[in-house]
Amino acid sequence: MFPWVYGFEWHPGYLVFLGVFFTVAVVVAGTVLAALWRSFTAVRKKHDGRIYWHTAFEELTPEERRCRHALTGELPGRCCDQEFDCRGCRMHARLLYSEEAGAQAAVAEPAEVCGISMPLDRYYHRGHTWVREGEDGMLLVGLDDLGRRLLGSDGAVELPPPGTELRVNEPAFRLRRNGVEARILSPVDGTVEGPAAGGEALVRVRPAAGFRTVHLLRGGEAAAWMWLELDRLQMALAASCGASTLADGGVVAGDLGRCLPKRDFDTACGLAFLDV
Amino acid sequence: MVDRIDEAWIARGVRRAPFGRFLLWAAPWAALLALGAYAIFLCLRDGLFHTNMDNRYVFGLWIFLDLAVIALGAGAFFTGFLLYVLRKTELRAVINSAVVIGLVCYSGAVLILAVDVGQPLRAWFTFYHPNVHSMLTEVTFCITCYLTVLLIEYVPVLLKNRRLKMKPSMLVFEYNLHKVMVVFALIGTLLSFFHQGSLGGLFGVLRGRPFAFREGLLIWPSTFFLFVLSAMAVGPSFVAVTTWMAEKITRRRLVKDEVYQTLGRISGKLLLAYVFFKSLDTLLWINQTAPERGFPAHRFYEYGGAFGTWILFTEIALLGLVPALLLLKPEWRARRGLLIAGAALACLGVTLNRFVFTIQTLALPTLPFDRLLLYWPSWQEFAAFGFVLAYGMLVYSFSYRYLKLFPQERELAMNEAKR
Repeated sequence: MFPWVYGFEWHPGYLVFLGVFFTVAVVVAGTVLAALWRSFTAVRKKHDGRIYWHTAFEELTPEERRCRHALTGELPGRCCDQEFDCRGCRMHARLLYSEEAGAQAAVAEPAEVCGISMPLDRYYHRGHTWVREGEDGMLLVGLDDLGRRLLGSDGAVELPPPGTELRVNEPAFRLRRNGVEARILSPVDGTVEGPAAGGEALVRVRPAAGFRTVHLLRGGEAAAWMWLELDRLQMALAASCGASTLADGGVVAGDLGRCLPKRDFDTACGLAFLDV
Repeated sequence: MVDRIDEAWIARGVRRAPFGRFLLWAAPWAALLALGAYAIFLCLRDGLFHTNMDNRYVFGLWIFLDLAVIALGAGAFFTGFLLYVLRKTELRAVINSAVVIGLVCYSGAVLILAVDVGQPLRAWFTFYHPNVHSMLTEVTFCITCYLTVLLIEYVPVLLKNRRLKMKPSMLVFEYNLHKVMVVFALIGTLLSFFHQGSLGGLFGVLRGRPFAFREGLLIWPSTFFLFVLSAMAVGPSFVAVTTWMAEKITRRRLVKDEVYQTLGRISGKLLLAYVFFKSLDTLLWINQTAPERGFPAHRFYEYGGAFGTWILFTEIALLGLVPALLLLKPEWRARRGLLIAGAALACLGVTLNRFVFTIQTLALPTLPFDRLLLYWPSWQEFAAFGFVLAYGMLVYSFSYRYLKLFPQERELAMNEAKR
């Protein structure tokens, strides 16, 4: 039974002691091997994006996880427990067609928050991307104004090659600037058709069958969210560099990468793109 | 250039000291590490004559401190048990720190044991030639297994590093390991229970040393259970003290107040239970166990000085009952200074308990012609322990700098910026 133990005897002392020890050793080794195997299969099946967002969401503060209905004042203090994917949220489904939500969404005037323009012809994702339906049924995906100010003129966005499958809340693009790298989450489910020609959009995406936009922000709630984002950014920069960076009543600088030291720019990118 | 590389490894949204200042902090510890490494080299090369231990004083500073750091490091297994098994979710804020502390304590203890036992290349003998009737075998097996478990528990903490988690395989492995952490928490609890107990049992079964010998349950003397209980009681206290020290050194808030409160409350309750059972055990020992072996208990304290009755009073009342009350009364616990004082006293209490069982036990005469023997460690013994201390400080400092030891840090920094 225990041939590798010198002088082993069929004695209760040996059996109990070595039995417990080897059971523990086997359980430890088995658990590690199981974790390794599951990791191997998850990477092979390309589940790493989902896992990335799951772990990143867990690291967000309660303030950052605030529910979209908390932003509009419908459910004050509520935190999201759906990883910002409202498609499976019963509360969101219940509130979606309520009068208040309708009123919030019905805001027709293009909003501007501290100089950040928010055209209302598109849906916004909480990772600072937007989605607009094109005339050919394709979806156009781009960075919102804050995202573009972080990207600046000398930054680069690494786009996924045509044919890449995108899934909501999984990393789709990579922003690189000043030695800082941040993952940008996909706002849609679909297949990349190719880069968008001209305009503000980054890519054209063929939507997946049954794709819905209920998880994306629209109208007035998008403006309320942007207020929170700027507040969050200001607080985070104050916390990370020890000084407040945006004065009340001011506007956000046109090119944040030029205004902020590298460390603060890194913090800002992480916060904006939810890559903490 | 170095600054840029350093920054790339630091988590987003948290502040860390400039790299130069960090090196200044690490330099003295590195020097102590080097001195300790030299002392260890001497002991391994030439043998234990570099120490002041002898055939009578076979357990010296090293074993005393080994027992102490293993008891203090119990915060790792107990915090894991509270979090993953009893679902005390607020302790998620300190679990990473507790794992690092546990890893440092246990790996340091194993290292010192390797120097003390000598011939580390023959360490595998203990597994191939186990004496299953020896408490020491149980200790060796359990500590080795638990150190392996702690290393596995440290892997997800390490893989949370910003650069490492950029690699999908690392990220996914961290996630999957984290999902099975409850298994390691349970195994860690089982192993810790047995080796903490066996360390206590080692002394309780010393029939030739009536000062340490205790009656017990079946094959386990009472010290088996008292060591387990005391380690569980001070583990959370030590986590609270180290977190508080990290806050003071870094000048940042790292965990919310409720975490301190939970650690203090749990520690207080267990400490009170420990003081109760320890008092009961001491009374039994004074009135029954010791006299039955021909030694009225007062004779153990006749030598005065370092080993007078004050030590018993200090251990049970000053460093047992007082901290238990400080940690139990909500009004006192609510004051950070009192809570940390209580936790620190509890840690000192268990350290004194381990001192009594190792040093005092061996100092007291057991034969009529024997005399009280005093012992003072050599510089090599101090330096070797300094090695463990420096190693611990460096591992913890690097872990704090580059890993997310305190997940609430970013949130607390943002809340403070708001004010």
